[in-house]
Amino acid sequence: MVNLNTIEPRNGRNYYIALGLEGSANKLGVGVIKHTRLPNTASGDNSHNCQVEILSNIRDTYVTPPGEGFLPRDTARHHRNWVVRIIKQALEKAKINDPTADIDVICFTRGPGMGAPLHSVAIAARTCSLMWEVPLVGVNHCVGHIEMGREITKAENHVVLYVSGGNTQVIAYSENRYRIFGETLDVAIGNCSDRFARTLKIPNAPSPGYNIEQLAKNCQHKESLIELPYTVKGMDLSMSGILAHIDSLAKDLFKGNKKNKILFDKETGEQKVTIEDLCHSLQENLFAMLVEITERAMAHVNASQVLIVGGVGSNTRLQEMMGQMCKDRADGRVHATDERFCIDNGVMIAQAGLLQYRMGDYVKDLSDTVVTQKFRTDEVYVSWRE
Amino acid sequence: MQLPQFPGTNIEILLYENVSNVDAIRSRVVELPYAFIDASAICSVEQIMSAIYRVMIEANYNRLRTKTLHSEILLALSPTSNIGEAFKRFGLKENTKNLFMIQITQDKTSNVDKTLVKGDIIEFKDESIERMSDIETIKKIYKIDQSLHLKNNTQLSRAVVDAIQLRGL
Amino acid sequence: MSQEIIDTVAQYLTPSIPIKLISQGAEAVVFSTAVHPYCPMRETASGNEPTQYIIKYRSPKKYRHPIIDKQLTKHRTLSESRLLAKLFLIEHLNVPKLIATDVYNGYIWLEFLGEDLPNNCGYSNLKNFLWMYANDPYNEQVKNTLFEVGKQIGLLHWNDYCHGDLTTSNIVLAKDDNGIDWVPYLIDFGLGSQSNMVEDKGVDLYVLERAIISTHSSFSGKYNQWLIDGFSSIYKAQGKTGAKKLEEVLKRFADVRMRGRKRTMVG
Repeated sequence: MVNLNTIEPRNGRNYYIALGLEGSANKLGVGVIKHTRLPNTASGDNSHNCQVEILSNIRDTYVTPPGEGFLPRDTARHHRNWVVRIIKQALEKAKINDPTADIDVICFTRGPGMGAPLHSVAIAARTCSLMWEVPLVGVNHCVGHIEMGREITKAENHVVLYVSGGNTQVIAYSENRYRIFGETLDVAIGNCSDRFARTLKIPNAPSPGYNIEQLAKNCQHKESLIELPYTVKGMDLSMSGILAHIDSLAKDLFKGNKKNKILFDKETGEQKVTIEDLCHSLQENLFAMLVEITERAMAHVNASQVLIVGGVGSNTRLQEMMGQMCKDRADGRVHATDERFCIDNGVMIAQAGLLQYRMGDYVKDLSDTVVTQKFRTDEVYVSWRE
Repeated sequence: MQLPQFPGTNIEILLYENVSNVDAIRSRVVELPYAFIDASAICSVEQIMSAIYRVMIEANYNRLRTKTLHSEILLALSPTSNIGEAFKRFGLKENTKNLFMIQITQDKTSNVDKTLVKGDIIEFKDESIERMSDIETIKKIYKIDQSLHLKNNTQLSRAVVDAIQLRGL
Repeated sequence: MSQEIIDTVAQYLTPSIPIKLISQGAEAVVFSTAVHPYCPMRETASGNEPTQYIIKYRSPKKYRHPIIDKQLTKHRTLSESRLLAKLFLIEHLNVPKLIATDVYNGYIWLEFLGEDLPNNCGYSNLKNFLWMYANDPYNEQVKNTLFEVGKQIGLLHWNDYCHGDLTTSNIVLAKDDNGIDWVPYLIDFGLGSQSNMVEDKGVDLYVLERAIISTHSSFSGKYNQWLIDGFSSIYKAQGKTGAKKLEEVLKRFADVRMRGRKRTMVG
């Protein structure tokens, strides 16, 4: 039996306040949330129904020039430069004047992600914790996404598709773990589109994936498709071959390599394929693979719903395809959140961290706050679910 | 007879033994609206039938690679997509004694010319076919390793059906 | 299960082939029928119960681009059919007989294997068979059957093929010619492949072990041992090379188990 009400809120209040700090990649996010201590969370599987109130959700993204990716060192510097300002903004917006009295727990991302950025944000979290005498909880980034998605959408009996710049996983909950059913064997989906965007030299703001999505939408030849490798392996998938393939096509296109018969007409040498066509084909191919492995997992665990989380989850074409699949499987449906929640943010870290805190699980020794680049979703013991 | 999936199509299969006018038929094989198959290359009912089924699938959902449904049966029997080779292996030869005469039509009633082939009509069933099969030739055509464990005709036939269903795909 | 898919199949098969829905997986929908696609004389041939056939249909997926969909359906229908044809040529390995393939529409016809177990114990797959013996779990017949199942997997792996989804529902038992002993058949090669990778073999063994543990946990120790005994017997019969390869597979199997293969699930 799960009881989320065991820990008393600070100062005899009937609600909890959590501060969440996220910085595992190029987004620095700080969020403040509030959980009222409800009778329904005293028993049963209600961790997705905490009626969370979002008091603030501030994010600052480190954007690099077109054609360039974000490097760990520079990203870490960005986070260090901004973290104090962003925390202050978040607290102010949430009307928290006295953190020591008002905040129950500080949650930070322990991993997975890029080492240096994770590290800079963890230092900020430790500092705040010592300064304000507030306990700390280290959160798995992926679990953060899942818990936020569950709370916002109230999805039940679902499979999770977690798609972002660094991760591509199909997850289902079973016996206190978010178990990974299928995942990428090489690069993540977001990484794939980010790198392709670099080849295309398109802007990295608001995000490379968003810009590819817009280009794909403008494709004039949606009925045709450029053939790309389709590499689903059981419940896993591989994307590096696809990226290499489409990358070389794009390079040939820029070079005007007329020898390439896919891109240029054999006789006239006329260009047959546009950048938009490439983006369209890439999306169609990659998303078909994602939906397929998600459906496999659904059949395995007998789930009827899908929860899409992670930055790529905001792609409307992916949502549309997933929705169609769910509809065709008995009255299923897809749940997705908008960019406030599916793109990395501090609120999601606060949500997962607060659940863990309410189960009595928080950092007892600062040596347990060391960040880790590799942190599998299924390593976390999910005490707050049945 | 009809295949359940293609009720509009009539299939007539006649099995002849001790045929005496093979030469005459061979000379007219192109113009005759039938498929003629040397029975020594056939080991079972299902071999013939699965080839006909394959022809119907190709005709309805893909395309024929030969001129008629009848010539397509010979190709369908073959493990390779070489049409000339298929005719050589399954078509009538100088020394053919026993043969299948097959007609596929959209007509409701049978109009097979039973006087065409001079020979004895015998029942189209495994027992009769087995008497006429040349197992070694069949194994050679389908490249079924001699050392294989295909202990009996049923197993040989199964390997043959697999080859027919998968040819050229 | 969408009625649309059933309607499509019914229309393709025409009313002369009545079908019964058996299961809907992510990849394919499975039906049974008493009508043979091209040997009509078979149906009434041998007596009492009509012979059954399996129709496996890969339905078009509306979510994906029609070009991708067509290619995949064709490719997968074909590769599963090919695999069955190849596996049949392996001596002593039991797989269902391929009757027909229509790669253009995504249909495979197979022979129906197995029967209903006595006392309403359900269809004779390994899962139900073990349930049937829940009161007498260490019966000699259970032991022999599991040993034989192990041998089947051993044969598959020794010949460098992997199943990809080896659960107790994908192992079917059929009575032998005498109608006494159970003969195991491996079915559903939709995720199968030719593979000489120890990892794939280790995962196959692990998936089956998990399936046994999750449904027959009290006796799983012995059951898995018998399976491995049967599996090993195939490799050991191959002399030194066999023993060496067996060691590699079993070592990887242990590694996979330690690691906890991600796709372990209940059921």
